[in-house]
Amino acid sequence: MNDMIKKVTQLLTDKTIDVFIGYGKGSADRSRAIFVRTAEQAENLVFSANCTQNLAGYLLKHEVKHLGKLGILANVAALRSILQLASEFQIKDGEVLVLFANPDGSFTEFLDFHSIEGYLLTTETGITSGEQERIAALEAMSVSERWTFWNQEFEKCIKCYACRAACPMCYCHRCTTDVNQPQWIPVASHERGNLDYHLMRAMHLAGRCVNCGECANACPMDIPLNLLTYQLISPIKAGFGATAGMKSDAVYALSTYKPDDKENFII
Amino acid sequence: MSRIGVFVCHCGENISATVNCEKVAKITGELKGVEFSTDYKYMCSDPGQTLLKEAIKEHKLDGVVVAACSPRMHEPTFRKACAEAGLNPFLCEMSNIREHCSWVHPKDDLTTEKAEDLVRVMVEKVKKNKALKSIKVPVTKTALVIGGGIAGIQAALDIANCGHKVIMVEKLPSIGGHMSQLSETFPTLDCSQCILTPRMVEIAQHPNITLHTYSEVESVDGFIGNFKIKIRKKSKSLDEHLCTGCGLCTTKCPQKKIPNEFERGLGFRPAIYVPFPQAVPNKPVIDRENCTYYIKGKCKVCEIVCPTKAIRFDQEDEVIEVEAGAIVMATGFDVLKSDYFPEYGFGKYKDVIDGLQFERLASASGPTQGEIRRPSDGQVPKKIVFVACAGSRDPAKGIEYCSKICCMYTAKHAMLYKHKVHDGTPYVFYMDIRAGGKMYEEFVRRTIVEDGTHYVRGRVSTIYEKNGKLIVKGADTLMGGIPIEIEADMVVLATAGVANKGAEELAQTVHISYDSYKFFAEAHPKLKPVETNTAGIFLAGACQAPKDIPESVAAASGAAVKVAALFSNDELTRDPLVAVVNRQAAPVYSACVGCFLCQSVCPYQAIEREEIKSRSGEIIKTLARVNEGLCQGCGTCVALCRTKAIDIHGYSNQQVYTEIMALLND
Ligand SMILES: Cc1cc2nc3c(=O)[nH]c(=O)nc-3n(C[C@H](O)[C@H](O)[C@H](O)COP(=O)(O)OP(=O)(O)OC[C@H]3O[C@@H](n4cnc5c(N)ncnc54)[C@H](O)[C@@H]3O)c2cc1C
Ligand code: SF4
Ligand code: SF4
Ligand code: SF4
Repeated sequence: MNDMIKKVTQLLTDKTIDVFIGYGKGSADRSRAIFVRTAEQAENLVFSANCTQNLAGYLLKHEVKHLGKLGILANVAALRSILQLASEFQIKDGEVLVLFANPDGSFTEFLDFHSIEGYLLTTETGITSGEQERIAALEAMSVSERWTFWNQEFEKCIKCYACRAACPMCYCHRCTTDVNQPQWIPVASHERGNLDYHLMRAMHLAGRCVNCGECANACPMDIPLNLLTYQLISPIKAGFGATAGMKSDAVYALSTYKPDDKENFII
Repeated sequence: MSRIGVFVCHCGENISATVNCEKVAKITGELKGVEFSTDYKYMCSDPGQTLLKEAIKEHKLDGVVVAACSPRMHEPTFRKACAEAGLNPFLCEMSNIREHCSWVHPKDDLTTEKAEDLVRVMVEKVKKNKALKSIKVPVTKTALVIGGGIAGIQAALDIANCGHKVIMVEKLPSIGGHMSQLSETFPTLDCSQCILTPRMVEIAQHPNITLHTYSEVESVDGFIGNFKIKIRKKSKSLDEHLCTGCGLCTTKCPQKKIPNEFERGLGFRPAIYVPFPQAVPNKPVIDRENCTYYIKGKCKVCEIVCPTKAIRFDQEDEVIEVEAGAIVMATGFDVLKSDYFPEYGFGKYKDVIDGLQFERLASASGPTQGEIRRPSDGQVPKKIVFVACAGSRDPAKGIEYCSKICCMYTAKHAMLYKHKVHDGTPYVFYMDIRAGGKMYEEFVRRTIVEDGTHYVRGRVSTIYEKNGKLIVKGADTLMGGIPIEIEADMVVLATAGVANKGAEELAQTVHISYDSYKFFAEAHPKLKPVETNTAGIFLAGACQAPKDIPESVAAASGAAVKVAALFSNDELTRDPLVAVVNRQAAPVYSACVGCFLCQSVCPYQAIEREEIKSRSGEIIKTLARVNEGLCQGCGTCVALCRTKAIDIHGYSNQQVYTEIMALLND
């Protein structure tokens, strides 16, 4: 831990960065994101097994971005978020200082996207076996069962948009949900409004979701939202050979086409 | 409050037979914002258009809905009429109550109700329409002609003689195409080379024409008036400026036994070669696949003997970029080889040849100096069988069409044979003799009557070799199908004319459509025979379907006129129905977040990057911007943009939403 505090203090004092996004102590035994701007604040940094949040979600937030040059403590999901954001032209190489927390507690500094890409190839990036089981269960359902399942889940949604705020890929200044001329997605949290919102969210994250699970973690109503976007990961990989957040210069599977693209998804 | 006019057309009885047009006019006339409504027998007729124009003026209409046929048919007509009456043409919309209603439903109240719905939807849309201004784009007055056969040559010369620049791209080392391989041409029997060569030379010397041989088109971007083309100039291993075309290298090259493509395998050529004596340009290329130096790393005999030191072994392919306002496709066709036919020996009998090979045998500059000698032993064949429709009109071979040229060239071959081998006996097996064309039937008659060619109506079922003879088995269907067996010395197959290998890929590269046989597709089989469905790209010659020379030349001149007409304007006017990226005030500037997913999805490369800069020149934001000249208004980007930062003029989100709601809220 002291290594990291020392490193961050130095980065701040020599003005390499203006802010460092890391973990601090939260309520009870939880951790929370903190935004370190001075050497004293650096003392508040913590790191433990509880520190699992994908902090990359803060990188593009207006309030954070405008504080100056950013540094971040990244986990695997955050590394992937950074590459995905890079492929969408939201972060340039070298723009963000990336410290990575190794499983053994030491820290590595990634100097460029290329080294992140190299590291991700050697590490496990997929969804957990528990999540795989839940998706298999969903896929085993008949279409109408699945429809009922999701409608029951969506019924709980209170449209707080915490999922949207937590997702590192939801960085639009103006979400389609907020467009009211015309109002394609009803604002009200009624049956159709909820369904439209969640379908839109899933579609907008298809092939972009880096399976960090922040949306489901953020949801106060415990909706297993992440399963919706996770379920799209393997068909996109099978159909187009693409996985989000593995290459900083990837082209988006759903916005490119080749004459020999498989068309087996067209029913 | 809108003042919309609704005009319901009967289309004679096309619509009124199933839809109650008076009722549609009456009911929709009561809609909010509709100031005037009427029905009329033929809205597109002169009196119909006058009615529309007068109503616009009299009722001070600010929007028009014409309920009639498909907008593909008459939208331009009615928009123009509106413009003439002083109304912005883009405030006029059509409801399709013919193809979408009267033609597909029975006479019924529901059909009339559907027509009312379709009009109502458009009335709501028109309320959201905005007056738009047409877009003007400049025209690059240079034509690209792809393919240097007779069709490409004709088109290029016609366009160049109109005073426009032409860039010609030919895949092979020389222009000339198939016509340069022919001996004499029906129906007049003039020598093919003699009439072709002067035109080839004209191409090379014309000040308006730039010729790229041994080159292929790699990519085509842009749109009518403004194409951007990448051309790969394959390395000839030669400095063309230094080469004088003396040909010394071709005589010294140690590789002498490479099958000569121009002679269709009936002769040989060296690795450094000029395809034929009259080639344009008359300078050699090195065929790297067969050159000893490229294979073994040493030789360079040509380099040593070349008096001007023009050989360049390390020369690389060059990719050049050119701009053109129009493209003429003239890549011609191909003919099947005898190896396509298992029943005729699969190409294993040397004396079963195809029509083009016969042309080479009959040609004075060919491998036999114009004497008809069979390939196996050089003997003059005394009995020769010509098989028409080899492959053509044969669903079992996948070629259902008539190759059109074979009847005529087979008659020509029989005639040429008799002119050269007086005591020879030619037989022709045919299905029908198709000799439509000026002087064509007379030509075939001459072969039969004056030259004594035996025409046998029937297909040849098998050919096999026996004691140095070819046994040709068939049946004479005019004699009740009696079996016929001929012991021939040589057989000539009039093999089907087919699309070039690679035609499909080329069509995809230039973005034009093609038919199931991979021939390029015309925009309309009768009224637009030289246009493609892609504006600014035209067809000439046999790349569209097998054609003879007069037809190829006529089509080429037709295509050239289309190009010249296009180039007669300095600017093109385009409908402004294009995408636009939302802009708003600082500090947001636009809903666009610059993810540029729209850029990769746009099929027309119409999306560019725009940097918003502060006064000090610092980049504040990078946004998408639509190039109005390139955008075709397809809407793909709109569907992809997550933040709905892109919209399309004339089909805005708001308009589409309003239309849907108009239907749902009924
Ligand atoms: C055996 C035989 C005998 C015939 N006899 C007669 C006759 O007596 N009288 C008559 O009127 N017609 C005759 N014809 C028909 C005549 O050959 C055609 O009408 C004529 O060649 C068509 O011209 P074209 O320019 O359209 O195509 P082609 O002659 O095929 O020329 C096409 C050109 O385009 C080039 N090309 C192809 N692909 C590309 C590419 N991707 N990029 C760049 N260049 C490309 C080719 O190399 C070629 O130079 C005969 C045909 C055959 C097969
Ligand atoms: S976080 Fe949960 S409750 Fe809130 S909008 Fe998302 S799904 Fe609905
Ligand atoms: S897709 Fe939308 S947000 Fe993304 S760059 Fe294009 S216009 Fe902007
Ligand atoms: S509508 Fe969009 S995708 Fe289509 S051509 Fe225009 S810019 Fe490209």
